[in-house]
Amino acid sequence: MTTVNRWLQRYFKRELLPLLADLRLAIALLLVIAVTSITGTVIEQGESLAFYQTNYPSDPALFGFLDWRVILVSGLDHVYRTWWYLAILIVFGASLTACTFTRQITALRWFSRPWNFYSQPRQFNKLALSGELTQGNLEAISPLLEKRGYKVFTRDRTLYAQKGVAGRIGPIVVHASMLIILAGAIYGSMTGFFAQEIVPSGQVFQIRNIFDAGPWAEAQVPKDWAVRVNDFWIDYTPEGVIDQFYSDLSVINEDGEELAQKTIHVNEPLRYKGVTLYQADWGIAAVQVKLNNSPVLEIPMGQLPTEGKSRIWGTLVPTKPDMSESVSLLATDLQGTLLVYDTAGQLVATVRKGMATEVNGIQLSIVDIIGSTGLQIKADPGIPWVYLGFGLLMVGVLMSYISHSQVWALEADDKFFVGGRTNRAQVTFERELLQIMEAIEPTTSAADAPATSAIAP
Amino acid sequence: MDLVTLQGWLDNTAFTILFFTMLAYWSSIAFPKVRLLGGLGTTGMALANMAIAALLTARWIEGGYFPLSNLYESLFFVIWGITAVHLVAERMSRSQLVGAITAPIAMGMTAFGTLTLPDNMQVSEPLVPALKSNWLMMHVSVMLLSYAALMVGALMAIAFLIVTRGQAIELRGSSVGTGAFRETKLRRNPNLQTVSAAPNLAGETDTVTRDGGTAVLAKVVTAPTTAPQKLTPQRLTLADTLDNISYRIIGIGFPLLTIGIISGAVWANEAWGSYWSWDPKETWALITWLVFAAYLHARITKGWQGRRPAILAASGFLVVWVCYLGVNILGKGLHSYGWFF
Repeated sequence: MTTVNRWLQRYFKRELLPLLADLRLAIALLLVIAVTSITGTVIEQGESLAFYQTNYPSDPALFGFLDWRVILVSGLDHVYRTWWYLAILIVFGASLTACTFTRQITALRWFSRPWNFYSQPRQFNKLALSGELTQGNLEAISPLLEKRGYKVFTRDRTLYAQKGVAGRIGPIVVHASMLIILAGAIYGSMTGFFAQEIVPSGQVFQIRNIFDAGPWAEAQVPKDWAVRVNDFWIDYTPEGVIDQFYSDLSVINEDGEELAQKTIHVNEPLRYKGVTLYQADWGIAAVQVKLNNSPVLEIPMGQLPTEGKSRIWGTLVPTKPDMSESVSLLATDLQGTLLVYDTAGQLVATVRKGMATEVNGIQLSIVDIIGSTGLQIKADPGIPWVYLGFGLLMVGVLMSYISHSQVWALEADDKFFVGGRTNRAQVTFERELLQIMEAIEPTTSAADAPATSAIAP
Repeated sequence: MDLVTLQGWLDNTAFTILFFTMLAYWSSIAFPKVRLLGGLGTTGMALANMAIAALLTARWIEGGYFPLSNLYESLFFVIWGITAVHLVAERMSRSQLVGAITAPIAMGMTAFGTLTLPDNMQVSEPLVPALKSNWLMMHVSVMLLSYAALMVGALMAIAFLIVTRGQAIELRGSSVGTGAFRETKLRRNPNLQTVSAAPNLAGETDTVTRDGGTAVLAKVVTAPTTAPQKLTPQRLTLADTLDNISYRIIGIGFPLLTIGIISGAVWANEAWGSYWSWDPKETWALITWLVFAAYLHARITKGWQGRRPAILAASGFLVVWVCYLGVNILGKGLHSYGWFF
């Protein structure tokens, strides 16, 4: 048993970890995820079998092989949930973790080492940007460096200066924050749920219609409170285009007492105890009518099947007690206009909310049109972690733009040696260091000459 | 003069200016001795930038909201971004080559926006409910700026590939600091305008990649370079400069893209309850992010520091375009607002 353990440990440390932390694997994974993700944007996702059969026939198959059978078997109809896509993501997560711990965290060692002063002129030879000056000393170069934001350290007759250390920490923050986002996303998908409810204005509902939930989501589903839709309405612009949808919602407890109240609209949800209610959809629930002097009757309206994009709701209103005659009421929005059709399908009148019209010899008045609100309901306990990761990621990528520049100087053999390097902004740094050298020892050697103004042969 | 006439006048002006700017840059390459041409190009870019800024401001006043509601407006915002990033890149690199490749792209995009787009797609339109949010300005403007920066960076990578065609190249500049070290063959008469063709850093970069660039001393000292010659700085070549500025510009675009995607995710979570829904546009933004992340990693990978990262960056140009326009031509998903329906 111990030998197996030891073998496993050995395998993990010597084989698996170096493989996972290999940059070439990371690059390959980044590109593989990119390419596989493209398929999901080209092939329609989550459609019906019939859809794929019509659009991807076997004869002639697209590119000679891509028919509906291939799509369904390989899962190209739901790429982002297939086992192979998730497997790639898992390998990517493993690679990211391995990189973070073996490369990024160990890069922190850089900070623990003693300042590396250069005490020998030959140490300057390795730097591309270095030179020996016949004049100049540490006292001359220090203020020049400090003016440009460098932190300067001197010891004996040698100098070390640096700026932009944040640029060394940035990539570490980026990698760690991506791990946090990944962890938060997995945690959220395990413990969160999604639900949808269509609720007519004035009704109370409990969250029941859950269509997607993680294995440990039960605790998140509210049991001791419900929501009442006090009102739902749509604002229209003067041109009749929808301006915004609004739902006035109250959270109530088992005794019907109001615990919270908010008017939500798209971009402004209601949050209560980890559950968020978003304005997502709308419909027409019912129409309130009066026939002659009858009490107000509420007649439910249903959405009619239309082939185009337009949405129409309709209902039947009996105009005789024995229901032998009736009219149809149709509405396309909540602006208050209803179309009245007779049984022969002829448009007999249009009537507005609060108005009346005469059909089949009786007075039909429209009291109100009642909308229903479509709510998207969600709980995701992973959000705080994901947001923390987002925040760190943004800070990390910005830090990673900074170039870490280091400058060395040494007074030796009656000469003054200056050299430096930076990890990212080579061009700007070259200009900066040459300016410093030029300020110490003015030459005619065109320190600032445009080395790049002409095209190379 | 009313705002709409002014806008029509401004977009035509931007097009004309950019057309002549392109000619100026191209002539400055053909006649490198005529210094004036380069300056003319820079002035043209700055003027075009201001004309487009004025155009967008006029839209803002007319529409009452930040003008990013349809293709025409976003196109001009991207062109504004490209001209702005171009000026930055040109200042950093001091090379007219940048303009030779960015000016035709900016000109082409302006031509498309001004001449090809049908008039009914050029008018300012009211925002749909889903876009009525302060996030719009933040998310869309950052995304479009990142597209602009990534496009300019990718274009410079293309310029680098053209300049270095048929040569083996060693890149300088990466997060671990490869390429800050002297080439082992000291150039005796450093001809500043030749492209370095020295694949001799392989062993050196090896060590550099491993531990952040410290333990290379022994290697270089043993090399037969330290002749009793005066130590002078080894200057960057044109290819080095183009590559490094391309890297730096992509280095601006990448954080912007990251912030743009995150702001979109947070907005989606606040408005619809899901920070990631594999919407085609979202997916393509992720693909763009992945391609440029691969580019940044390729730069620090041993044996990959030649032209390969630049090829990745250049292909990123296409990916950005698919992300920006291609997805909307498919006309699917949340982001199809205000485009080709």
